[in-house]
Amino acid sequence: MYKNINTPGILAASKTTMDSGTKLSAPATSTALDVEGKWNIVSERLQKREDERLSEIQKKKEQKSETAALQESTNFFNTEFNKEKVAIEAGLSECDRVDKANLIDRFDLLSLSLQKMQKFLAESTMFLPPYEVRLAQEAISKLQTQIQEKRDDLFPKKRFAFKSKKKVASSEKQIAKTLPENVCREKVEVALTNCKYEDLKDQSLEKFEDEINNRDVALARLENCTVKLYGAPSAVHMNKLNNCRVFTGPVSSSIFITECQDCVFVLPCQQLRIHTTKNSQFYIHVTSRAIIEDCSGVKFGPFNWKYPGLNDHYKISGLSRSKNSWNDIDDFNWLASDTHSPNWSLIPEGEFVKSWDEQIC
Amino acid sequence: MGLLTILKKMKQKEKEVRLLMLGLDNAGKTTILKKFNGEDIDTISPTLGFNIKTLEHRSFKLNIWDVGGQKSLRSYWRNYFESTDGLIWVVDSLDRLRLQDCKQELQSLLQEERLAGATLLVFANKQDIPGALTSEAIKEAMELENIQTHHWLIIGCSAVTGQNLLEGIDWIIDDIASRIFTMD
Repeated sequence: MYKNINTPGILAASKTTMDSGTKLSAPATSTALDVEGKWNIVSERLQKREDERLSEIQKKKEQKSETAALQESTNFFNTEFNKEKVAIEAGLSECDRVDKANLIDRFDLLSLSLQKMQKFLAESTMFLPPYEVRLAQEAISKLQTQIQEKRDDLFPKKRFAFKSKKKVASSEKQIAKTLPENVCREKVEVALTNCKYEDLKDQSLEKFEDEINNRDVALARLENCTVKLYGAPSAVHMNKLNNCRVFTGPVSSSIFITECQDCVFVLPCQQLRIHTTKNSQFYIHVTSRAIIEDCSGVKFGPFNWKYPGLNDHYKISGLSRSKNSWNDIDDFNWLASDTHSPNWSLIPEGEFVKSWDEQIC
Repeated sequence: MGLLTILKKMKQKEKEVRLLMLGLDNAGKTTILKKFNGEDIDTISPTLGFNIKTLEHRSFKLNIWDVGGQKSLRSYWRNYFESTDGLIWVVDSLDRLRLQDCKQELQSLLQEERLAGATLLVFANKQDIPGALTSEAIKEAMELENIQTHHWLIIGCSAVTGQNLLEGIDWIIDDIASRIFTMD
């Protein structure tokens, strides 16, 4: 209110009150009434101005929301969008006639307006029906490829290549085409980790802590072998083992076993996943839960291999020795909880192998 | 202004982002999710189903869906595609034997119409283990360079140490935000 008092209108009003008071030299009471009346006029005027101001604001608000509503309609979007689209297409068709020197600028301009279109679409997605959004997206991507094609057309990329070598490359490609699967397979399997045994038969294999601690170990395509890993690897992957016995020290993260059969696995780890494996025994220590998938005839017992240094390796791996869910297996092909999965079973306690050394020797 | 518009506007204000995390089993999806959320990662079992986490990050509300990667669960992945803003594909950088599978699964995902607009982040996980394939090697083996249909990035990370997890998530949020939240 204090602010209003300083406005010129009020100053003028108070001045007239004073003038009239002196002129008439009326009694004090009438002067007081007079002053009151004038005040009423002033406040009325103030009120009027305030009302005008408010209605002005209201009007502006309405106008704004009207234009916003107008801009947030599908029709508005379509007309604006098409305008831009036509402009870009026209620009593209003109490209053939433009000087080479100006072409780069021209293309930059085109991609800039395409970007603008994209932004416009992004802003409008909230009120447009999904169908319109998709159409617009398709239009944009079509324009983009058109621009790219035109650009490639007018500025062919200079590729650096030896001509004689190109021929060799193309003939190589042909070979690759005839044997695509073999090539892919080779590429993946050749790249096995350094720490590995693969393609061996009838052997006894051992690795020690210096080589395997905190590393990942891979065993692939072994037949009738015994593998002992004295150490604490980070992870172990096993693939296509046949009639093998595998012993590992504590594995700090996960063990992954696929396509094995007639094997015995003796291992501690945090996670164990067994896939497409048949007729095998597992003596395990798992701190989370082991899972099987597409397996049959797999049997489980508690981890019971001992070797000097096992305790130290447990410490390195950080596995908890108190928690072992060797007898709690999840079968991804058997989700019924009331009946037991036919794919796995527990080894009866009396049939546990007591000493592995005798078995192996 | 219809109800749908109001809802969409509300969603925009809240800046919700829906991320779908997929990959072969044993890739470390759940471990990444839990590590990112600051939870214990030593007791994680293979995922039988899915996990959802809603977390606040940089004023964004992230809904991260982590779906199990076992073969028998992969056919259910498509149930989670709807309204996905970003796809996080997790690769086990030690699993050289299944890179081929990994590549094929990702390629078939990228042909999905319902994932057409999603940004793709590839996490080359388990980089803390010596001998892991580098993100560069995985990029080549999976032929990521050929992806034209999606914005994508591959980044080496470790769910165990937390290395590069934030960087990856920040990138995918930025990319999504530049597409969806251009209003602000």
